Amino acid sequence: MRTSRTLGLFMIAPASIMIFLFFLMPVVLTAIFAMTNMSTATGISGGAWQVTQAAVNRLKTDLPELADGIAEPRFIIDEEGLKELETLKLKPGFAAELRAEHMGEVYPSRREAERVIKALKDRPSTREVKQISDLFNRSVLNTRFETRDELMANLKKLGFDLTPQQQDIVARATYTGWIWTTDNFRIISSSPDMAQIFFNTAFYVSVTLLLFNVGYALFLALTTHYMQASTASVFRAIWLLPRITPVVIYVLLWKWLTWDSGFISTFMSQFGYPPKNYLLDTAYNAWFFVILINGFIGASMGMLVFSSAIKAIPQTQFHASEVDGASRLQQIRYIILPQLRWPILFVTCYQTLSLLASFNEILLSTRGGPGKATEVWSLAAFHTALNNYTGNLEYGLGAAMALVLVVVGIILSLIYLRIFRYDTLISKPLIED
Amino acid sequence: MRILLDKFSKSFGSTKVIEDMNLEVASGEMLALLGPSGCGKSTTLFAVCGIHRPTSGRILFGDRDVTNLPSQERNVGVVFQSYALYPHMTVEENIGFPLMVKRAAAPDIKKQVAAIAALVHIDNLLDRRPSQLSGGQQQRVALARALIRRPDVLLLDEPLANLDAKLRLEMRSEIRRLQRETGITAILVTHDQVEAMSMCDRIAIMKSGEIVQIATPSAMYNDPRTSFVAGFLGNPPISFIKGTAFQGAFVSGDGHLKVPLAALSGISDDTPLTLGVRPEHFGTGGDIAVEGRIVFAETQGRENLYDVALPDGSVLRSIQPVRNDIKPGDQVRWMLGSDAAFIFAENGQRL
Ligand SMILES: Nc1ncnc2c1ncn2[C@@H]1O[C@H](COP(=O)(O)OP(=O)(O)OP(=O)(O)O)[C@@H](O)[C@H]1O
Ligand SMILES: [Mg+2]
Repeated sequence: MRTSRTLGLFMIAPASIMIFLFFLMPVVLTAIFAMTNMSTATGISGGAWQVTQAAVNRLKTDLPELADGIAEPRFIIDEEGLKELETLKLKPGFAAELRAEHMGEVYPSRREAERVIKALKDRPSTREVKQISDLFNRSVLNTRFETRDELMANLKKLGFDLTPQQQDIVARATYTGWIWTTDNFRIISSSPDMAQIFFNTAFYVSVTLLLFNVGYALFLALTTHYMQASTASVFRAIWLLPRITPVVIYVLLWKWLTWDSGFISTFMSQFGYPPKNYLLDTAYNAWFFVILINGFIGASMGMLVFSSAIKAIPQTQFHASEVDGASRLQQIRYIILPQLRWPILFVTCYQTLSLLASFNEILLSTRGGPGKATEVWSLAAFHTALNNYTGNLEYGLGAAMALVLVVVGIILSLIYLRIFRYDTLISKPLIED
Repeated sequence: MRILLDKFSKSFGSTKVIEDMNLEVASGEMLALLGPSGCGKSTTLFAVCGIHRPTSGRILFGDRDVTNLPSQERNVGVVFQSYALYPHMTVEENIGFPLMVKRAAAPDIKKQVAAIAALVHIDNLLDRRPSQLSGGQQQRVALARALIRRPDVLLLDEPLANLDAKLRLEMRSEIRRLQRETGITAILVTHDQVEAMSMCDRIAIMKSGEIVQIATPSAMYNDPRTSFVAGFLGNPPISFIKGTAFQGAFVSGDGHLKVPLAALSGISDDTPLTLGVRPEHFGTGGDIAVEGRIVFAETQGRENLYDVALPDGSVLRSIQPVRNDIKPGDQVRWMLGSDAAFIFAENGQRL
């Protein structure tokens, strides 16, 4: 017993490794990314400390005085600057006079510093004034520091004496690399855009699922069941076409149908309607076509699953129910549907997950438009993390959105199992007493 | 309600299963359709209940032509050979199904189900599902489901095949009593001749899609029209001896056995014949002595069964009250009742 169990574990080890690598790792990595603010701006390796205007803005709430101070350029007549000035081979009087008369003076702006330089006895030219003032510019604005200590040392030199707490705040505000954060989830839960996308997704998934992937599929399976075998198979084959057509071509056909020079426009122009792009005309139309495009693909799988499940019901049950007086509708209601519980659960679950996760048809047809009318969660995650107009790809936020999708999928599956009472679907052992 | 099959034919594609069958079941009668496997019993039943449409011919219930009426409108109760219970329903729901689709009131259904379940002794199983029942229990559920709507016609496709011997006896009389009480016209399909003989008013024996003979059990037993019918009825079965006609008598192959028979008066000599003798007509009583050797002996409790081999190799069966003086290998000289023997022509027709 023990040995056979270990042997079993050994035998499934390759499969377990595969599952871990290809199924669990992506989820784990997504979860990890979701807890960061990685983006094109931060890069995915480490970063530096830089007092950008954005960093200053971030500091304004916590340390307003410091923020104002840092933002200002500062000019300090110090030994360091004087030494550099001496090496420039300008008139030696400049350095000598500055050292003698102005050593240690701090000017809050370039203008004040340059006024002092211009007033030097040796009369520096305008170009020289600029050159000299640059040497004493001690502003940290937009300077890149490779380490945190370097930044702090420079700030100290500028006269900002910071407590360790304040240092932390400054360091956080000026760091340009990625950091661990839960902000992504805060953004997702509070942004009205996200709420709209969430609502779009719920609408898209539930309507496509109910009307087509389950509803229409069931309708097709039931009607073909009562058809003659040959007619039924022709019918089923037709509904399989959307599934077996490559999706790019399939969507292209739809586009051809809805373009402003397409079939619908041409047809409607017969009745005096001006041609227009029916697909992207209004949000209402966009949804209409997005659901049709996805539904026609999705219905075929349910149809096949349901048809074969109906075929598996023994003929005599249909005979018996007819003899018992059941009409067709009653036969469907009381004999077929109850025995399709498991296939319906399967198709509902499977199609919910695929509708949640797949966005290729929408991407190819409306790209989420018009505006963001047909933007669904997975497409939004794709746009956020991998393909957006601003060029700043927010990997962290995108991963967080994907993670939300995974969690929603799991929760929905559990709910389905409850609704369909999965436990009762597993047959119980024969009991005799 | 009378059932009439008028020139009923049924074929599946090119396979002709039944051709020009005429059959009348009188109102309130219980008829057995008896025959070997594959002879078309279920097919006939399916045509009567409307699952199969006849290829040609008519089916009448009373004076009403139901040939093209769907099953739903025929008010027949059917117990299918494979039970055809609904696996997703409890026993109670299964039995109540015919009433439920008629939209009867729920309490009413419950009451009737309880009554009929008690009748077939499954009232303690009402909450089970068919998969939790034994074969016999399933069969009784099917019977209850067929009876609950008080059908005009009850069709039973081997309803007792899966019951144990005791229950089978009990159910036999139960079904018969129910059928008598309700006055339902019933057709019972079976290949168990004891069942057919004990339960039914008349028996129709079928062979390859044709009705060979239709008669009451005793008439059928005592006056079979063909050797097939004679061979099908009777347990232990009749024994046959091959021979020829000679001067108004049957003579076995080697001339050892000679049985003068009135039926052979007009038959020319050397016509090939078959003699049929039921086991109860061979033994201690009779008019013709037959010598042979016991090759097989078996006790059935009250009676003993012996197989006696004649010198030409043919075997006569004998059933007698229990006796202990004979064992296999013994040479015996027993009597055959020639007036109870049947004589058949080569094509199986009785002479
Ligand atoms: N749907 C069908 N298609 C083709 N042939 C069929 C069909 N149903 C029955 N048959 C054939 O018709 C013949 C009679 O079948 P049927 O089921 O009536 O036999 P049966 O007398 O009920 O036999 P059993 O005692 O084994 O139930 C068989 O030879 C069978 O192969
Ligand atoms: Mg049969």
